[in-house]
Amino acid sequence: SGAAWARGLLSWARPERWLASGSLFPLSCIHTSTSLQKIGKWEKKNRIVYPPQLPGEPRRPAEIYHCRREIKYSNDKMWYLAKLIKGMSIDQALAQLEFSDKKGAKVIKEVLLEAQEMAVRKHNVEFKSNLHIAESLSGRGRYVKRIRCHGKGMFGIMKISRCHYFVKLVEGPPPPPEPPRTGFDQAKEYVQQLRNRTLVHTL
Amino acid sequence: MAVLVLVRSPLLRLRAQLQRCWWRLERGIWPGVLGGQSSPWGPALAVQGPALLPQGINDAGESSAEAPSLLENILWMAAPKKRRTIEVNRCRRRHPNKLIEVKRNIDVCPECGNLKQKHVLCGYCYEKVKAETRLIRMEIRKKEGGPFNAPTVETVVLYEGEKPTEKDEGKRIIERARKRPSWFVQN
Repeated sequence: SGAAWARGLLSWARPERWLASGSLFPLSCIHTSTSLQKIGKWEKKNRIVYPPQLPGEPRRPAEIYHCRREIKYSNDKMWYLAKLIKGMSIDQALAQLEFSDKKGAKVIKEVLLEAQEMAVRKHNVEFKSNLHIAESLSGRGRYVKRIRCHGKGMFGIMKISRCHYFVKLVEGPPPPPEPPRTGFDQAKEYVQQLRNRTLVHTL
Repeated sequence: MAVLVLVRSPLLRLRAQLQRCWWRLERGIWPGVLGGQSSPWGPALAVQGPALLPQGINDAGESSAEAPSLLENILWMAAPKKRRTIEVNRCRRRHPNKLIEVKRNIDVCPECGNLKQKHVLCGYCYEKVKAETRLIRMEIRKKEGGPFNAPTVETVVLYEGEKPTEKDEGKRIIERARKRPSWFVQN
């Protein structure tokens, strides 16, 4: 009660202004980290910590999330490279990107190598080749509008586009590709849908 | 005689009709208007050809004919009728012929172990050769001392501990102060 009285007294004087953050009062929840730049959601995905696995459970494969922001490249063009890489093993992806003529290929190759090194150093991955690309996405960055001069004093407004690139590496060999859906599969699904029909709200 | 007459009369009539059309254009009256028009059949002028007309009428006719042709051209320009929906756009942009193909001609270089395309020299090995060639060229430049001093004989590059053989009798010798690289085979 004495502490509560003291807290009440001092809270009237409002010491938060002249006390450093990380204050004495346990009730005041002042954030100690001062970050004006927002940490993106993809970067935060590396911070999740799972509870320890039980002895009988199968080993959970390591997941590494990495991204690069504000790449000077178009989102639409980056999407083609991200689509190319999806589902490949990391070695195959690096080989394809090395001989691609696109500007974004060089950037994505750097990102993949960084992620590979991060995986080996921090995320307890044993073999650097034993990774495959589970997800690879491109996102739109901040666009800037600029004036483009044409002849006769005419001008157009051009937008300078940037993009982000996100990649998720998972330990293990790449999953086998899905067999393409045949007409037979579609017919089977249709028949199954017909068979699932029942009468509702009846006896 | 009879043939000549038959050929000449349609031409005269054509000329007359054209003149009428020009005059109507000039005055701004088109054939739809009835009445208020004095003698539609004007005197047929004896002119050489149907295209020859006095200059003033010509200019007026051209200028009055040019403006509508410009406007007509603009009206006939191709323009999209409806906005392409994002679904249609996606079908076009994600069609397999627009996606990047997976390259199947990538191999491993047997010399250095880097990746190389089958029909292209290994990039790493080529860079090594380029660096060594650059140093040899610098030695040559030092020996020649200026432009236009290239000798008319062949050049032989010798590395450390190598002596010129009988085959290199009349040739120019360039010395390089390093061990012979494994890929540079001596003849």
